[in-house]
Amino acid sequence: MAPPKRILVACGTAIATSTVVAKAIEEAMKARGIDVVTRQCKAAEIRSLVKDADLVVTTTPVPQDLGVPVIQTLAFLTGIGKEAVIEQIAQILKK
Amino acid sequence: MDAFLLAMKAVIDNLGATVVLPIIIFLVALIMGAKPGRAFRAGVTIGIAFIGINLVIGLMWGTLSEVGQKMVQNTGVTLNVMDVGWPSAAAIAFGTSVGLWVIPIAIVVNLILLFARVTKTINIDIWNYWHFAFIGSMVAVVSGGNVMYGLIAAAIASALALFFGDWTARAVQHFYNLPGISIPHLTTAPGVPFAIVTNWVIEKIPGLNKVKADPDTIQKRFGTFGDPIILGLIIGLILGFLAFYNAGDFQTVLVKTLQTGMNLAAVMLLLPRMVQILMEGLIPVSEAARDFMHRRAADRDIYIGLDSAILIGHPAAISTALLLVPTAIAMSLILPGNDVLLFADLAVIPFVVAMFAPLMRGNIFRMWIAGVIELGLGFYLATNMAELFTGAATDAGFAKPEGATLISSIGDGFLWPPFVFARSVGFIGVAGLLLLLVILAVAWFFYLKNPNAWEELAGAPPREETEGVAAVAD
Repeated sequence: MAPPKRILVACGTAIATSTVVAKAIEEAMKARGIDVVTRQCKAAEIRSLVKDADLVVTTTPVPQDLGVPVIQTLAFLTGIGKEAVIEQIAQILKK
Repeated sequence: MDAFLLAMKAVIDNLGATVVLPIIIFLVALIMGAKPGRAFRAGVTIGIAFIGINLVIGLMWGTLSEVGQKMVQNTGVTLNVMDVGWPSAAAIAFGTSVGLWVIPIAIVVNLILLFARVTKTINIDIWNYWHFAFIGSMVAVVSGGNVMYGLIAAAIASALALFFGDWTARAVQHFYNLPGISIPHLTTAPGVPFAIVTNWVIEKIPGLNKVKADPDTIQKRFGTFGDPIILGLIIGLILGFLAFYNAGDFQTVLVKTLQTGMNLAAVMLLLPRMVQILMEGLIPVSEAARDFMHRRAADRDIYIGLDSAILIGHPAAISTALLLVPTAIAMSLILPGNDVLLFADLAVIPFVVAMFAPLMRGNIFRMWIAGVIELGLGFYLATNMAELFTGAATDAGFAKPEGATLISSIGDGFLWPPFVFARSVGFIGVAGLLLLLVILAVAWFFYLKNPNAWEELAGAPPREETEGVAAVAD
């Protein structure tokens, strides 16, 4: 069995919006049978944690030169366009 | 019947937030259409979060109280109000008698103002309803436990947040590139007046109006101040040494100092983790509330109100906050008449400064000055309100350690809205609430009469430039 994909979820505090996003991704990926582990962090910590991640999902601006795919989205918070982002995440993780 | 009600009240008082809040969250989630299983799990999760937060606050309050007392004896510095951080403030706020009801109240206020076409924001950021509960809790404590006053205050505060959300929406959307979003967040929004005044004054001063600072250099040099664990350890070691350097032989001093350092580093990591659990428990309620409000606001021009956490990643906010951490520690030591010892909320400073950025075009120097002014005033507001803050913690059932000091936090103990609400009611009772309502209504009236001028004051670009953005927002 392949190791679970690691997703780094960033927001301003690693408490508020990133919790919502991380839980939503976990649920959505589980429903699709994709095994993921999420870790929450603050935008300022992202550089030091990114080397352990396959994908970064963030609600707040982060640098784009991290070497892994970065998705900046508010869809998990607003509910608008959520399915499209979930699909995008699933596509990236399947690679 | 009275006896029955009294007995019920006694049961509820004894159970406290760990039992009552889960029940209420379960009911609220059900009413707004969440599935029963999910709603139930949400409620239980929130109860667990409260137990966790209580444990960590106990550790922090105990450690800081002992350290604080010894430090006062040793150094004569009387910083006897401990900063327990916004996570504690939020937990306290949700745990008080006002906090139990704040979610339904704020949703109703939001829907009324939306349908009266007063506000454009639907505030789906249920988590941050704690700010309204916090203000309401302060009012309840100051009015001798009058929960009704507290609930009214919370309702007005929720309207205040919508007002700020609407007012700053175009500025935020433009500067942070977030079409359709507003930020009705009462840690961030109160900074807007400070930004307006500071910016106006600096513009008038030759030389100063040219100063800029580079975000990258600041992030490299001051990066440590952004790492709560290391910050907590360092502050803990310093405080521990100041408190215990004369506690006995070398071995005792070393043990006590290192213990204090580790305890406070642990708090810095554990407290936010506990609040994550609280947040997780609120997700089904947030989702249900979001859909509930969306359904009722279909085909309207709306802004979606979110947490200012989505702004904090911006380099201007991070850099300014990093600079303000050492500045704030220095201020806590030198400001005469300040009783607040900063600790847990050094991490919340980005929230305080995020709304300065649009107006100041991300100029870190100006944001730093405005931050110094807002926090400088904040020390006095927090000192003044520490008794009320501590009273609210007791109301929420947080265990007060032996010989405990008073508590406060930057979010929202340092900010003017809780102070203005609590002290108005303290001085003139319910008339204070009425007065605040009238002031808010008048401000809103003038804003709606001339929205463009107000929005430009908060940092929005002139109307015609943003036609594209506005179209997306609508």
